[in-house]
Amino acid sequence: MKPSWRFRPSALLLACVSVSLSPLPAQQPDPNQQAHLKGLTLAELGNIEVTTVSKSPVAVSRTAAAIYVITQEDIRRSGASSLPDALRLAPGVEVARIDGVKWAIGIRGFESRLSRDVLVLIDGRTVYSPLFHGVYWEVQDTLMEDIERIEVIRGPGGTIWGANAVNGVINIITRSAHDTQGGLVSAGGGNVDQAALGVRYGGTAGRAFQYRLYGKALTRAPEYHSDQRPFDDFRRAQGGGRADWTINSRDSLTVQGDFYDGRDGESALITVTSPPSSYILDQNGQLAGGNFLARWKRDLGAGSDLQIQTYYDRVSRQQPNQAEFRNTFDFDLTHHWKLSDRQVLIWGVGARISAGEIPQVVPTVVFDPTRRTDQLYSGFVQDEVEIARNRLSVTFGTKILRSSYTGLDMEPGARLLYTPSPTTTLWTGITRAVRTPSDIEDTLTTTALRTENPPSFTRTTGDRVFTAETMIGYEAGYRQLVKPALSLDLSLFFNRYDHLLSLEPGTPYFDTATAATIFPAVNRNGVFGSTGGLEIAANYKPRSWWRVQGSYAWLNMEMHTRPTSADTTTVASLQGSSPAHQILVQSYINLPGHLEFNQFFRSVSSLPAQHVDGYRTADLRMAWTRVPGLEFSITGHNLLQGHHAEFGGDPGPLVQIRRSVFLGVTWRQ
Amino acid sequence: MRGVAPIIRIRLLSRVICCALAISALSAGHLYAQSPPPTDYQVKAAYLSNFGRFVEWTRRPFAPEEQSFNVCILGDDPFGPALDAAVAGESVHRLPLAARRISKVQDAAACRIVFLSSSESSAAKAVLPQLEAAGVLTVSDMSQFTRRGGVIELVLVGNKVRFEINLAAAERAGVTLSSELLKLAVAVRKAP
Repeated sequence: MKPSWRFRPSALLLACVSVSLSPLPAQQPDPNQQAHLKGLTLAELGNIEVTTVSKSPVAVSRTAAAIYVITQEDIRRSGASSLPDALRLAPGVEVARIDGVKWAIGIRGFESRLSRDVLVLIDGRTVYSPLFHGVYWEVQDTLMEDIERIEVIRGPGGTIWGANAVNGVINIITRSAHDTQGGLVSAGGGNVDQAALGVRYGGTAGRAFQYRLYGKALTRAPEYHSDQRPFDDFRRAQGGGRADWTINSRDSLTVQGDFYDGRDGESALITVTSPPSSYILDQNGQLAGGNFLARWKRDLGAGSDLQIQTYYDRVSRQQPNQAEFRNTFDFDLTHHWKLSDRQVLIWGVGARISAGEIPQVVPTVVFDPTRRTDQLYSGFVQDEVEIARNRLSVTFGTKILRSSYTGLDMEPGARLLYTPSPTTTLWTGITRAVRTPSDIEDTLTTTALRTENPPSFTRTTGDRVFTAETMIGYEAGYRQLVKPALSLDLSLFFNRYDHLLSLEPGTPYFDTATAATIFPAVNRNGVFGSTGGLEIAANYKPRSWWRVQGSYAWLNMEMHTRPTSADTTTVASLQGSSPAHQILVQSYINLPGHLEFNQFFRSVSSLPAQHVDGYRTADLRMAWTRVPGLEFSITGHNLLQGHHAEFGGDPGPLVQIRRSVFLGVTWRQ
Repeated sequence: MRGVAPIIRIRLLSRVICCALAISALSAGHLYAQSPPPTDYQVKAAYLSNFGRFVEWTRRPFAPEEQSFNVCILGDDPFGPALDAAVAGESVHRLPLAARRISKVQDAAACRIVFLSSSESSAAKAVLPQLEAAGVLTVSDMSQFTRRGGVIELVLVGNKVRFEINLAAAERAGVTLSSELLKLAVAVRKAP
């Protein structure tokens, strides 16, 4: 699970950024600019911000995975106010808002509130909850202006990404303290994001030590509710900081941390056994947490480095029907070892200890035991060999994983990269990936009302028989720089899944304690199947002032129930919860008078299992830089209709996402 | 009625979006974008045209027959016209600056500064002693350049171009770097 190449100073990744930012390697230097540079002293030259477009053609041809990079510029110009909002910019990512608080996100299928098969990292910290191996997106946040880039890898990515990176990896990287010097204040308000404030100050102490501190707060109005139960308002505040210290020419140290606190409106279906009934409870949840991370990196020379990272993460969630308090400690070591000009070996080890307390809030949602400490030990090794110089390289390796839920798991993979010319790339890969069981499959017992009269309940029990889900992914891709202003990216995939979670009904019995009939069910691995599809993306810059990006993603899920399984719901639910077709169009225009005008269009096909119709909607943003450093903006989201549903999950009718308008001002110094 | 109004509104909005797109596309002639930041190689070119002022070639004094102060690129040229623009009209040590592209290390004898292109990364180990013997100031942006024995390495710190110095390599090449240059370096190596 510890990607190592994300930490490599990333000629590769840095360059990927410039690829998506501007596919213009042949950009002509502006002679006037050179004349201006000539007048500068050495010290002044060192403070000029540069773009590194010149590296991009190399980088495009250097990645054997379906990678897409969302840049800071994309985020700023989209007006995205949250991480999931920003993820809507990436092709092939399924992003749906369940309500004002919750999100459902998936990559290449399996979209759900739990987003279980996608590994998400923020500055090297895994943010999925060990409780269900998914991500609570509503509490994952940082100052949007401080994000350097978001790397989205569709597919298992590489062996080194490891556990639960089954369908994809989302790697959120913030800027170094060095790059966030000075002050920033952003403020705004609108009909849905009612008031938002962000503040950052970056300072320096000596030439080698930089830091930044930030704070942000948001209050959000409910979405549209046809039953007039506007439960999903949201307030949260977050603060944190980061310091980067270049100790000497070889060693550098980064420490960073965040903390947050919020109140979110939730709606939960509560079941009680006596009298046998269920009711909807609208109540605020209290979501708080924090983390602290330290990362030391030593440059070993000759292209090799060693990195040690450790972090502590605290989560506290008190919700209407459950609660969770968790402390996680993580340690990782990564060695990036350049054996020769043609061979790079990367290996690493990691350990994670997560102690969780999940007290009972309602008697029908019970974790047994309520305290549990999970351990995860992992190691990986990967070798990248250049077979024919600048043309053909092969990468192979494996991850070894041991969790407290399962025994030893191997996740081997191999990738081939062929670059017949600097502008053409072909790649292919085959990878095995696993998703390990979590508490909700292993130790959770839930009881739901089946019929009030005669009284009967469905009871699902985690009996620890459920084992890891497995996947073998076959991928191929083609990238072409057609001309300096036009690039194309095509990815194809076929994934075979086995041992997917199924719900197996047992024999009904009469329970004397509740005086009701119980229909029991247990978690098993009775579903298998495959997904196939493609993503095609184009990046076109017809004019120096206009950039257009477009993408289309197609997904076909074929799930089946094993003959031994009596599950009747999982297959339809999986197949009907991810869109078969998604179209994105983004247009970025620079207008005279320091105006930026951006248009975003998205079309998402229906989700039958969520009772969500296909929809098309658009966002617009206009920004005006009054004087350098002072920007005024107006952003409209979901403009094509008053409201539309994107995903189910709350009791009662579907929550509809409203059209919204936001006025903002950002000041940078 | 309820069904029709939203549809009209959607059409109207789509039309507004389309019009806005069209208008902005048409006004191409009047567009001026904010001046984009320079590329890293424009700034690197500016550094190359500047370094000469802060360096003394103690072992290789300037001879009367030396007509120009040559800044040379060995290997693939990553600068394009940026280096030529940077040296145009400039002079160092009373000599006019000139940009040269050389393909053989033997040609470096006519150069005061040699920029070793990343394309020569694998050859650097063999080439650097020869450049030292020729008494030139070696500069490069290939990774680990100062560690491999080069004198000045241009590095990206965030999105700014800075430089590192290897003093032992400078000594071997017979060049003396001014204290001003050393002060601005992000790192100064004294070991080989």
